[in-house]
Amino acid sequence: MLKEYPGRVRLIFKDLPLASHALARPAHEAARCAGALGRYWPYHDKLFANQPSFERADLVRYAGEVGLSRERFTACLDARRFAAEVEADVEQARAIGVRGTPTFVINGRVVAGALPVEDFRTLIDEALKDKP
Amino acid sequence: MVKGHPRRVPLFPSLMVLALVVMLVRAVAAVEMLGDITVEPTMVKGSPTAPVTIVEFSDYQ
Repeated sequence: MLKEYPGRVRLIFKDLPLASHALARPAHEAARCAGALGRYWPYHDKLFANQPSFERADLVRYAGEVGLSRERFTACLDARRFAAEVEADVEQARAIGVRGTPTFVINGRVVAGALPVEDFRTLIDEALKDKP
Repeated sequence: MVKGHPRRVPLFPSLMVLALVVMLVRAVAAVEMLGDITVEPTMVKGSPTAPVTIVEFSDYQ
């Protein structure tokens, strides 16, 4: 979508690990560690490509595969350096009534569930009409 | 006041105030808010001036 609408769409990712997914929270914390070390999006993509293999050894291996120092990454992950930030995202989701994933907020309009690409185009086009 | 000797403003307190202002401005700039939603800069893709912002709440698992 970003490539389709260059300069006109910005994406902000928010962590919402569901309580029913035991391995999700460490994965979200791991992604933030990758971000702190400069490789957030490659790591993010790696996680989605390897769902749901998120045991600790997997998370560390992915870090190496995206070019991160395993030592620095492991130190961050084991210290749970970003636990509070992930929890803050969960709290923000609750505060605005987001319960499930994925949920999108497009210029303030909340859209729940995975949508077909065509529906996304329609929503983005509508948002652009409001803010050309 | 003696001519040729302008009153000196203490430099140290002025620099302290300036440093404090710079720190506050940086802190405000570092935490972007979108309504009630905080924005972590490393978790953003696309132009900051884009007219459409999509916030995605998602679960890796």
